[in-house]
Amino acid sequence: MGGTAQAVAYLWPELIVAITGALILVIDLFLPRVGEEGASSRSWLAYVGVAGLAVAAVATAARAGVETTLFDGIIVLDGLATYFTFLFLGIGALSLLLAANSVPRFTRWPAEYYALVVWCTLGHMVLASAGELFTIFVTLQLTSLPLIILIGYAKRSGKSGEAALKYLLLVLVSTAVLAYGMSLIYGSLGTSTISEIALQLGKAERIDSVVALGLVLLLTGFAFKITAAPFHYWVPDTYEGAPTPTTAFMSVGSKFAGFALALRIIVATTHVQLDWPLIFGVMAALSMTIGNLGAIRQVNIKRMLAYSGIAQAGYLLVGVAALSAAGVASILFYSVAYTLANLAAFGTIINVAKATRSAEIEGYAGLAKRAPLVALTAAIALLSLGGLPLLGGFMAKFYVFLTAAHEGLIWLVAIGVINSVISMYYYMRVIYVIYVREGDTEPLVLDPSATLASAVCVAGVLALGLFPEYAFRLANEAAAVLFR
Amino acid sequence: MSGYPVLSIIVLAPVAAALLIVLVGSHPKVPRVIALLAGVVTLVGSLAVWIGYDKVAGGFQFTESVPWIPSLGVSYSLGVDGISVPMLLLTSIVIFTGVLVSWNVETRPREFFALLLLLVTGVFGVFAARDAFLLFFFYEMAVLPMYLLIAIWGSTRKEYSAMKLTLFLFAGSAVLILLLVLAYWQVGQGTFDLGVWSAYRFTDQFQMWGFLLALVGFGALIPIFPLHTWSPDGHVAAPTAVSMIHAGVLLKIGAYGLIRLGMMLFPHGAHDWAYLVIGIGVVNIVYGAFCAMSQTDLKYVIGYSSVSHMGYVLLGLGIGGRFALTGAVFQMFAHGIMTGLFFALIGFIYEQTHTRAIAEISGLMHRTPLVAACFIIAAASSMGLPSTAGFVAELLVYVGVVTQSVWVAAAAFVGVVVTAAYLLRLLGRILLGEPSDAVLPIHDATPLRFAPMAILAATIMFVGILPNSMFTMITSGILPLLRRLAGG
Repeated sequence: MGGTAQAVAYLWPELIVAITGALILVIDLFLPRVGEEGASSRSWLAYVGVAGLAVAAVATAARAGVETTLFDGIIVLDGLATYFTFLFLGIGALSLLLAANSVPRFTRWPAEYYALVVWCTLGHMVLASAGELFTIFVTLQLTSLPLIILIGYAKRSGKSGEAALKYLLLVLVSTAVLAYGMSLIYGSLGTSTISEIALQLGKAERIDSVVALGLVLLLTGFAFKITAAPFHYWVPDTYEGAPTPTTAFMSVGSKFAGFALALRIIVATTHVQLDWPLIFGVMAALSMTIGNLGAIRQVNIKRMLAYSGIAQAGYLLVGVAALSAAGVASILFYSVAYTLANLAAFGTIINVAKATRSAEIEGYAGLAKRAPLVALTAAIALLSLGGLPLLGGFMAKFYVFLTAAHEGLIWLVAIGVINSVISMYYYMRVIYVIYVREGDTEPLVLDPSATLASAVCVAGVLALGLFPEYAFRLANEAAAVLFR
Repeated sequence: MSGYPVLSIIVLAPVAAALLIVLVGSHPKVPRVIALLAGVVTLVGSLAVWIGYDKVAGGFQFTESVPWIPSLGVSYSLGVDGISVPMLLLTSIVIFTGVLVSWNVETRPREFFALLLLLVTGVFGVFAARDAFLLFFFYEMAVLPMYLLIAIWGSTRKEYSAMKLTLFLFAGSAVLILLLVLAYWQVGQGTFDLGVWSAYRFTDQFQMWGFLLALVGFGALIPIFPLHTWSPDGHVAAPTAVSMIHAGVLLKIGAYGLIRLGMMLFPHGAHDWAYLVIGIGVVNIVYGAFCAMSQTDLKYVIGYSSVSHMGYVLLGLGIGGRFALTGAVFQMFAHGIMTGLFFALIGFIYEQTHTRAIAEISGLMHRTPLVAACFIIAAASSMGLPSTAGFVAELLVYVGVVTQSVWVAAAAFVGVVVTAAYLLRLLGRILLGEPSDAVLPIHDATPLRFAPMAILAATIMFVGILPNSMFTMITSGILPLLRRLAGG
């Protein structure tokens, strides 16, 4: 390793993102003061953020082939890190588009919002390549703290504050659990680097029960992050209370940041005498079932998507339980498919909420007449979440089930497919309201940037459904890194 | 063969037309014209396949194959044999006449025709697919538009019926996903190619479970007793063209899938469960017929008669042997055309009289002789009278059954008697007598409205009088299946 200077040279994407966030704030500083109404004139700052993330994506592409560790294993640059970095940059950019015009509707300070999204993205990116426990710990705070602010951003809405408080408590608890787990591992093994941990566990005859407990606590911390049952209680309230662009962002961003991390640690510790497939299998089954059953009763679409997100975490965990290269690849593919479908759905919510000022499913009546294209994007997004052929969500689910069956987890696949039938019920119900129920007929005034984001996402969902091969290959290559 | 990818044209023409409608169909009359053109293309294509298919050579012809998802071993692979060709023809006749019947749809015509065509692409795709994944893919594509078609354009508890139908069918497809996933790893060659799968010898244990999964998964759509309850509700709630396609071709996808994935892949499993299939078949026939008898709504009568008639298909498949299997496939075709005709007729009657209550309709013979004549032809086929397609189909099945078990034949024959009873009574009620108040003001169908009925009625008669036109085709498709079942 050629010293710090050279190491930093590898970190251009992260630096660019960090600078982008600062740039937004600095530009904002020089703009004239505006009142409540003038806030929307700042929405172009979101595009500065998008541009910054795009530049970072180019820099990441330039770094793509690199396989190295920096700072004695603190940062791992490999195919998996690259895959997730692209994913998080995409999530950040799409979330900025969703937020651009909608954030100024509830705050006078949109620039800070955009900057926080950008920095939170930075946290996600670093998590994707973190190779050491304490780095993970610190970086998790880099993602959690901005999120707390983003959740509480709609100050005048009581729910927003409440949601932020709930999330804060969750962060505190999961942080404590994580810290405890990490200290147990470090205390027993004397190292905090994941590769070192893997090496030691690989050599050991028997695994110390303290280490096993540490690992379990570690994964409990992540389970909070990825919204898996039975650590899911905070999700519906927080998702509902947070401003919609924030919900969109966290529903995929922080979920997959959790997965990015968990995958490295789980794969590194396959030698541990813990029955990972069983643990994750049970967690997956619980998440799918609780999420889907919970979603059925919801009348608020954000709460419904919160429960659906819990269920989707379950499908993803089916891939984790498979604990194979193909299983990880299926999670990687799933993450993209889910991100696109979910963000498209949130784009619709932002569009509808602009007119109805609520996220009640009843408010979607007549949407097919008011805004046919928005209705279509919503339908495609929901069907993809439900796992209908032609769409990315189906390919993703099928791939996950295929890999799990290969590892003999047939019971889990069976629970998964039954759950996907249950889920069709509530997704279809929204489509029914959109297309069949009569409602307002006045055409909807669209939010241009959110509509653009939805359109991009739906195009992606269709592309993944019809031509998944390229994405499969990328996912497989990235997953193979962990299994060398 | 001819150098043209004729199967792709048949499969993709409807979806291309659907896209075209979405893009340019803002004028209320444009969608139906585009839909009709797509119908013509598929009809001509199917006839070309019908004529061009080499019955002596048999096997899969007009094959096309393009890798689709190589990393999973999925390919866009099409081909038809003697079982699929009649199904293609059936589908194209029903969709062509279905578009004609829907000519006057005024509520959101753009979405209506686009969804109808999407559904049809799915149906054609199932019949032409040579790849298990592709087949499933198209199967789902055929199921979903049904929900919106019923929920938006339907009648009579449409929301309930649409959701019930969708959940039943999705539950069925969930079972099929499980089957696909398990079979994929069992074969272990990293491919979904049905040719490879058919050549693979599954273990007896796997075959037993595999066939059961296929029976339950596809059975939901056939529909088999007791998974049939969505079906009459769905038929009744659906708009006319959708009922036609639904009962006419959608149910056939179920039976077709059972043959293609169930019997071809798991012949031993088919043998293990033969008595179950026969039993369900007999129950379907008799139970469906009795249910039909007690209905007061015309559509429900035909809805339950579909349950009954699909029982013959199951019976034929369960009995096995050359006659019974040929009869089963023959029945799939005959029932499709016949039910299509029934629903077209009921749609016409309902449009004119605004009622489907049997008690309120009588004397149609006086006011609408052409429609009445078609009704008689459809009923004759349904009762299995000679010179109709239904006769040939039922005869073949019975010949097959009698050689195996007289008792089963006797049990199933109850269905024939009951069917004759309710249909004759129905004909007497609605056709004869003095025209009722509802019937009095109506007139016979205009040429445009009559055309679809005439086409369907003519098909029934044509196939009934010249059964060989269908028989040799189906036999060429049955022979490989027979060899498979015999353990070859």
